[in-house]
Amino acid sequence: MQREWRTEWIKVRYRKVGLLLMAFLMLIFLWVSWALSRNTKEEMADGYRMIFLQLPMIHTILAPTMLAMLASRLCDAEVKGDTLKLLCTLEHKGRLFDMKLLMGACYLALFVFAEVGILFIQGAIYHFQRPLEPVQILFFVLQIYLVSFAIFLLQVVLSFFFENQILPLAIGLLGSFVGLFSWFFANGIGKLVLIWAYYSQLCFVAFDWEKETRVITYYNKPFDVFSFALLIVLLVAGYVIGKSLFLRKEI
Amino acid sequence: MKYIIETNSLSKQYGEKYSVKNLRLKIRPGCVYGFLGPNGAGKSTTMKMLLGLVKPTTGEISMFGKELYQSNRMEILKRTGSLIEAPSYYGHLSGRENLEIVQTLKGVPREEIDEVLKIVRLSGQQKKKVKEYSLGMKQRLGFAAALLGKPKLLLLDEPTNGLDPAGIQEMRELIERLPEEYGITVMVSSHLLSEIDQMATDVGIIDKGKMIYQGALQKLHDKARSTISMYVLNQAAAVQTLERYGESYAIKGGELVFGEREELQVARLVALLANGGAQITRVSAKQKSLEDIFLQLTGKQVSL
Repeated sequence: MQREWRTEWIKVRYRKVGLLLMAFLMLIFLWVSWALSRNTKEEMADGYRMIFLQLPMIHTILAPTMLAMLASRLCDAEVKGDTLKLLCTLEHKGRLFDMKLLMGACYLALFVFAEVGILFIQGAIYHFQRPLEPVQILFFVLQIYLVSFAIFLLQVVLSFFFENQILPLAIGLLGSFVGLFSWFFANGIGKLVLIWAYYSQLCFVAFDWEKETRVITYYNKPFDVFSFALLIVLLVAGYVIGKSLFLRKEI
Repeated sequence: MKYIIETNSLSKQYGEKYSVKNLRLKIRPGCVYGFLGPNGAGKSTTMKMLLGLVKPTTGEISMFGKELYQSNRMEILKRTGSLIEAPSYYGHLSGRENLEIVQTLKGVPREEIDEVLKIVRLSGQQKKKVKEYSLGMKQRLGFAAALLGKPKLLLLDEPTNGLDPAGIQEMRELIERLPEEYGITVMVSSHLLSEIDQMATDVGIIDKGKMIYQGALQKLHDKARSTISMYVLNQAAAVQTLERYGESYAIKGGELVFGEREELQVARLVALLANGGAQITRVSAKQKSLEDIFLQLTGKQVSL
């Protein structure tokens, strides 16, 4: 297991995976900063909730593309260099699949950790009056991390199956559109099977807008435990199906 | 252990078509086994099945005297190196880093990288990115990766594909010396008969997924006996003389064909026919080449 893990880190040398994530992180930071800068000081009192609403939306738009690129960076070297036929004589095929997911999981963990950092940085810049609740951070991490990981899992399978990485990237882009529209879908079965829709589904902050006063009031929604459980089921099913497809793939 | 690789009724079916059918491979330890066949004969599929990359439809595989299962595959393959079809490599990494991946996965000492780089003469190019390598260099790198861990068995699928004549010669020499210098049994596939002829000790000829010849290369050479052909003006007189003296012969396209004979026997035959009034115009010796035998076995033209 350690050997396989070590080789994965050799493989990602010069792949600039960190740079890719940093670029998206910077984009998210700028987007959040821009969104916050448009508000009055009074509106900024509930800045953290604003960010907790903004970030899932931004993720819906950016993350599917980023995750498609991440999966491609981690898996396309095997496809391009035709190395699967060599690797599969040196390590268990299933373990190779797991290692790719583990690599992605590590990068994603760093990414989400950095996003939590963005929260604190924005808090320090704008001095939001309403304090940050630890449970909000927990819900945020669970929401962003698990939905992103589920999308990443899908992209890994696609990256392994298509020699031309344009197709997985195109599906990533399509996912962005589906996810974006999902914010306007009514709740239903259709929404729950679309993995990209879970950023909106698990969003734990909502707002009321009063037309007369034009005041927006943010409030906490109860965490959607049912959707969360369903996401876990989809993740497990996706892993089992994805791995079995990979194992069955003849080289 | 009589055979390092042995298969029994090994078959692979894709849809209705058999890519490999009832193959019985028998590879002796310490030999260079040339696996010969036209393109699409089933060589790569067979080698992939041996490495567990393709699941056989039916049949058994034994390697190192042990039957190959999914559960013991990695254990058995630890003693095996392979180079299947085009070389496998990470283009963004250097040659050395590529070998580091294989060395780490095989769990062998790092010093071995230097040894195999030296064997394939890539020491000077080890820091260069593999995407900048020529095809020959990539092939040699793949060969070096296969040699890491001092395997007892090497499976090489068309290892000279795409190499220039010098590269082919170099690769051939390398393969030839492996059994003697490193105690490695080599199974090497090719569609080039001349190539196999120059480096193999044993040969298996496969066509349309079926083994049509298997044995020592020398035995195949023995089949390539010479024949004596004679052109005569009076064939009736010649036949009469031959019948009278009980000589065996065949008539092919107006010429008399005799089996392999010694010089003195040929001289005696010529004298007999001349005395019998056959009026000999030409006598020639024809060597049946390996190509002829291959053609006879497969019914296909072979690349030279």
